[in-house]
Amino acid sequence: MAERRFSATRLPGFATIAMLAFLALYIPILTLVVYSFNSEVTMGNWGTATLDWYAKAWANADVKDATLRSLTIAGFAAVISTALATMAALGTTRRRAFKGQTFIYVMINQPLMVPEIVTAVALMILFGLIKTVTGVHGLGYLILAHAAFCIPFAYLPIRARLEGMDLTLETAAADLYASHWHTFRRVTLPILMPGVIAGAMLAFVVSLDDVVITEFVKSAGQDTLPTYMLGQMRRQLTPEINAISTGLLLVTIAMLTAFFLLTRKKD
Amino acid sequence: MQRLLTATALLLASTGLASAEGVLQLYNWGNYTSPELLEKFEKETGIKVTVTDYDSNDTALAKIEAGGHGFDLVVPSANYVQIFSEKGLTVPLDLSKLPNHANIAPEWKDVVWDPGRTNSVPWQWGSVGIAVDTEVYKGDVNTSAVWLEVPDELKGKINVVPEMNDIVSLATMYYGGQPCSEDLEVLKKARDGLLAAKPNWISMDYGATEKMSNGDWAASVNWNGSSMRIREAKGSVVYGYPKEGYTLWMDSVMLLKDAQNVEEAYKFLDFIMAPENAALISNFAKYANGIAGSEAFMDPAMATAPEVVIPEEFKAAGVFMPVCSEKSREYMTAIWTELQK
Repeated sequence: MAERRFSATRLPGFATIAMLAFLALYIPILTLVVYSFNSEVTMGNWGTATLDWYAKAWANADVKDATLRSLTIAGFAAVISTALATMAALGTTRRRAFKGQTFIYVMINQPLMVPEIVTAVALMILFGLIKTVTGVHGLGYLILAHAAFCIPFAYLPIRARLEGMDLTLETAAADLYASHWHTFRRVTLPILMPGVIAGAMLAFVVSLDDVVITEFVKSAGQDTLPTYMLGQMRRQLTPEINAISTGLLLVTIAMLTAFFLLTRKKD
Repeated sequence: MQRLLTATALLLASTGLASAEGVLQLYNWGNYTSPELLEKFEKETGIKVTVTDYDSNDTALAKIEAGGHGFDLVVPSANYVQIFSEKGLTVPLDLSKLPNHANIAPEWKDVVWDPGRTNSVPWQWGSVGIAVDTEVYKGDVNTSAVWLEVPDELKGKINVVPEMNDIVSLATMYYGGQPCSEDLEVLKKARDGLLAAKPNWISMDYGATEKMSNGDWAASVNWNGSSMRIREAKGSVVYGYPKEGYTLWMDSVMLLKDAQNVEEAYKFLDFIMAPENAALISNFAKYANGIAGSEAFMDPAMATAPEVVIPEEFKAAGVFMPVCSEKSREYMTAIWTELQK
């Protein structure tokens, strides 16, 4: 130990605090998963291990409908928000720093700062007006709402990728008489792709898990999986909800793992 | 971008035109609508019912007030029925389209929150009373004294459900008042009574169904449906109706002002007031429904259960939570906060 560089990991109590934090994060989730295999209806009592609740959730037509709807909304929202976020990221990074840059960042990331319930109520009122005037219902409203709050989640990884990118590559392409579009299509976009995909996946997961905005914006017959689960609260919750939650958790974990693999630095 | 806009517009429009004939949009509490009932309705009328869930009266009210919701029917609790109709969010029912309206049991026809039942039809109702294991306590169970002046046998073995409205109302009635009281003298007695009784309670918690079934608790202030399930698991448990007063709740179906499928809605309302169909609702969610003659079609165990069918002598003591004044709610919250300490 000739050289003593500062490292947070050597501070006293580091391991203890880290372990406690991990426990606090994962014990509730583990409990939920374990109880999804409980044969007893009530949560506190453990019976025997069973897969019945998974079978029941699988056979439940309402759950099926809500799942399909959730996936549809998340798919559309991810595509729309990623397209917009890519444009925003290009617009804010592929140029010299400009006046009001910070302001633009804040504007784009607004959904991260404004409390979700505020956005939800605002959207409910606005969409309520539009729905009343036009008489047009449909899933489009939910998709637009989700696309809007997903933009910052898609924007951040794309911007991070762009910031690590060499501006001279594009200059080189221009020197070789590539048109703007050609440069973007053949140089910028391919390098950017991992960021775009990561952004899209993050947006997808965020849309899939949303409760508050969906609960307020949804019209008749538009329950998503999370709002369906919320609706079960008044009557006894059964491990079927645990089983559904575990399923939702698996999708989220799969997406996040893919996100991690795509964004990790290749040294 | 052009294509994107077109696609979005098409998407917005596509499902918008779905208010064609043969559909009905029901906005109801989650896990509360019998799938069997909807299947039967569709088979008989060709109308497909879509159920959308909510988890509180407030959520439902907020969404319907915002407009453009697309729902036809909503199922608010008793104290919200008046709010919906006073705000003009729902419309009075055309009783000539509801021949089965005559099936509403007499005691549910002239309710305080909807005299003559011109705005709402019954969905389900229940009560809050006391479940007591008679192996532990042999005294009178039909009094709030069981939990407010806890007898020795039950000390440290009785639970109270953490429902502010019900608990404060039960206590107020025990000390001679009415729910939503603003009478400080009665409220003070209720508060003192609750605070004095609390050390004798084992907990203020949900989950009586399992904790009493396995004998962890010997008694609990509890809902009737849950108490019935306890009795089925443990035969020595009885459900008491406090003679000083106990609370009732009822959820009723209302027709929304901007309903798109009005004819279908009337068909559904009439349908659920037929005794054999009302029984389907009860069999699914395990609460009574308010339609005379439906007992004949209910699960036999339910139709005769003393938890579901209130014995004649206790009927008068049941009261509905009215819409409380601002002031009385403040008092109630203050008492509740003190009780939670």
